[in-house]
Amino acid sequence: MKCLQAVGAVILSLLRELADENAYRRHLVMYGRIHSAEEWRRFSDERSKAKYSRVKCC
Amino acid sequence: MPQATATNVAAPWGFKRILGQLLWAAVAVVAAFCLAGIALNREEHINSVWLVLASGCTYALGYRFYARFIGTRVMALDNRRATPAERLKNGHDFEPTNKWILFGHHFAAIAGPGPLVGPVLAAQFGYLPGTLWIIIGAVVGGAVQDFVILFASMRRDGKSLGQMAREEIGKLGGFVALLTVLMIMIILLAVVALVVVNALAGSPWGTFTIAATMPIALFMGWYLRYWRPGRVLECSAIGFLLVVAAIFAGQWVAESSTWAPVFTLSTVALAFCITIYGFLASALPVWLLLSPRDYLSTFVKLGVIFLLALGIIFVRPELQLPAFTRFTDGTGPIFAGKIFPFCFITIACGAISGFHSLISSGTTPKMIAKEQHACPVGYGSMLLESFVAVMAMIAACVMQPGVYFAVNSPAGIVGATPAAAVATISSWGFPVGVAEMQQLAQSVGERTLFYRTGGAPSLALGMAHIFARSGGGQAVIGFWYHFAIMFEALFILTIIDAGTRVGRFMVQDLLGHVHSSLGRTSWMPGVIATSSAVVLAWGYFLYQGVRDPLGGINSLWPLFGIANQLLAAIALCVATTILIKMHRARYVWITGVPLAWLVTITFTAAWEKIFSPAPRIGFLAQAAQLEAALSSGAITGAGMAQTRTLIFNARLDAVICGVFLVLVAVILVDSMRIWGGILRGSRESRVAEAPFVLSRLQAEKI
Repeated sequence: MKCLQAVGAVILSLLRELADENAYRRHLVMYGRIHSAEEWRRFSDERSKAKYSRVKCC
Repeated sequence: MPQATATNVAAPWGFKRILGQLLWAAVAVVAAFCLAGIALNREEHINSVWLVLASGCTYALGYRFYARFIGTRVMALDNRRATPAERLKNGHDFEPTNKWILFGHHFAAIAGPGPLVGPVLAAQFGYLPGTLWIIIGAVVGGAVQDFVILFASMRRDGKSLGQMAREEIGKLGGFVALLTVLMIMIILLAVVALVVVNALAGSPWGTFTIAATMPIALFMGWYLRYWRPGRVLECSAIGFLLVVAAIFAGQWVAESSTWAPVFTLSTVALAFCITIYGFLASALPVWLLLSPRDYLSTFVKLGVIFLLALGIIFVRPELQLPAFTRFTDGTGPIFAGKIFPFCFITIACGAISGFHSLISSGTTPKMIAKEQHACPVGYGSMLLESFVAVMAMIAACVMQPGVYFAVNSPAGIVGATPAAAVATISSWGFPVGVAEMQQLAQSVGERTLFYRTGGAPSLALGMAHIFARSGGGQAVIGFWYHFAIMFEALFILTIIDAGTRVGRFMVQDLLGHVHSSLGRTSWMPGVIATSSAVVLAWGYFLYQGVRDPLGGINSLWPLFGIANQLLAAIALCVATTILIKMHRARYVWITGVPLAWLVTITFTAAWEKIFSPAPRIGFLAQAAQLEAALSSGAITGAGMAQTRTLIFNARLDAVICGVFLVLVAVILVDSMRIWGGILRGSRESRVAEAPFVLSRLQAEKI
C-alpha cells in the first residue's frame, strides 16, 4: 500500500511539474510572494518566454 | 566470534550477489531467445509479446551494464559534486528535482511524433529490420548520445549543444550547429505538417475534431489567465473532456449533410489552413493558444502512450506483416530506397535522434539533483522512447499487409482508382479488396482509407484495433480511430506552433547582427516579418509535399531523417571531443562507433537521394526524367507549369541534401582535426567544465 502511495505521489508530482504548478509554488516560496492572478500571469509570462524559445523534439 | 560475524555479513551479501547474477543471466537468456525468435521466425505470424520481451530485456541489460559502465568508468559520475541545479538554484530553470519526476519530464520533452511515424513507414520492409534497429540503435546509440550530452551539459552549467560545439570544437562548429538546427526545423515542420494534412484530408470527422481543439485551447488560455489562474491540471482536465466531446461531435458532423462538406477539405486547403495557423500561433501571445495546447497535448501524449502499452500487453496481438517484405530491394511504395541505408534514416527518433541532444542540453541538465541521476534520466528516458517506437511498429504490423499498403501507398504508385490500387497491391502478394477497404473505412467513419500516406492514419488504425479489442469491440473502433488521430494531430500542431516560434527567434537572432531592430522580439514589424519568413519556408516544403504525385513522404521524410541523423552526428562529434579532452580516449568507441555508423548511413543516403539514377530515389534523376518528358512534348497545357515546379522542387531538395552533407562534413573534419591534435599532443586538452564544488544536497530529501 505504501509503495502504491509513493508511486501515486510521484505521478501526481510529475503531472504538477509538467503543468508548471510546482515551478509556480517554488517561485512563490523563492520570492516570498503569495498567490494572486497578477502573480501567476507574471510567472507564466516569464516561464513561457523561456520555454518557447527552445526547440521541441520531433 | 569475530570470524562468525564476518561470515554472517558475507553470506547474505554473497547470496544476494549470486541471486542477482542468476537473475541477470536469466534476463540475458530471455533477451537472446526472444531476439532470435523474432529474427529467425519466417513461417507463421509472430505474437507481439516476443517484441515486447525482446525489447524490454535488452533495454534492462543495456541499462544495468552498459549505462552503468559508461557512468562509472567513462564519465566518472560523482554524487559529491554539486550539480548546476544545486549551485545555481533560482527556483525557475535551476532546481534540484526528484529523479523520477525529471525522468518523466525529460521523456515528455523527447517524445514526439517521430518514434510513432518512423516505424510505421519503415514497416514497409517488414517488422524485423525496423524492430532490430530500434532496439539495438537505442541501446548502443541513441541512449548513449542522450546520456553523454546530458552529462556534458550538466558539467557545463546546462549549456546548449551549440554553445558546447563552439567551446569544445570551435566557432565554426557552433555556427554550423545553429545553421543545421534551423534548416532541420524547417524540414521537420513541413514533414510533420504533411503527416497531419494527409491524416485529415477528406475527413470531416477528423478535421472538425482538430478544428475544435483551437477554440478549446483559446478557452483554456482564457480560463488559466483570468478565471482560475494557476490551475493548470484542473484546466487541462476540462480541456481533455472538451476534446473528447469534440470527437463525439465530429461523428455527428461527418454524418450531417450540411456540415460534412464544410469540414471536408482537400490536401491543398488543409496545407493553407495549417500554414496560417502556424503564423498566428507564432505571432499571438503564448498564453492564448500555444501554452494551453502544449499542456493538454503533453498530458494526452503520456496518457495515450501508457494506454497503448496496457492495450498491447492485454490484447497481445499477432503481427500480420512478415519479417521481411519484397520491398527490401528498394522498390517500396511508401518511400523508395533499399533497406540499407533507408531503414536507418526512416527510423530516427526511437533509435537515435539528433533532436534529443537539444533537449538533453536544454532544460533537463539544469534540474538534475545528483550526477548519477543522469543515467536514468538520459539513458533510461531514451530506452522508454525506443519502447514507444516498438509499440508503433506493433500497431502498424497488426494490420493485414494489403490494408497497410493500401492506406500508405500514394496514387502515383498504386493507381488512381481503388480498383487499380487493390490490383497493384494484390499483385505484390498482399491480397486486399475494394469491399474490404470500404468496410474498414465505414467502420472508422471515413469515406475512404486509400492513399492516406504519412503514417498517421495507419498508426491510428492499428491503435484503434488494439484499443477496440481491449474493450468495446467494433462498435467503438470509429471513436478510437479518431481519438488516435486527435492525439497525433494535437501534439504535431504543438510542434508546429512552438517550432515556428523557435525558428522565428533563430532568424531574429541571426538578423539581429544585420539590423538591431530585427533582433528585438518585442518589435512587431520584426516579429511579423520573421514569423512570415519561417512559415513561408516550411509552408513551401509542405505545399511541395501535398502537390507531389508520389505523396510527398517519399521525398520529405528521408530528407528529414537524413537531417535529424546528421544532427545526431554533430552531437556525437561534440561528445567524442569531450571524451578525448577528458583523457578517456580509450573509451572513444562508445561515441565513435555510433558516430561512424551515422556518418556511413547518412552520407550514403544523402548521396543516393542526390545522385541515384533511379528517379524515385535520386532528386536529380527525377528532375532529369521530368525535364525529358517536358521536352519530348509528352506533357502539355496546365501540366507543363506543374512539371516545371516539380523539377525545381527536386533540384531544391538535392541542394538542401547537399548543404546538410557539407555542413556535417565541415564539423566532422573540424572535430577530427582537434582529436588528432590532442592525441598527438600538439593541442592543449582543456575541458570547459564548471569547477568542482562539494554538494551539500541530500538526494533522498528531494
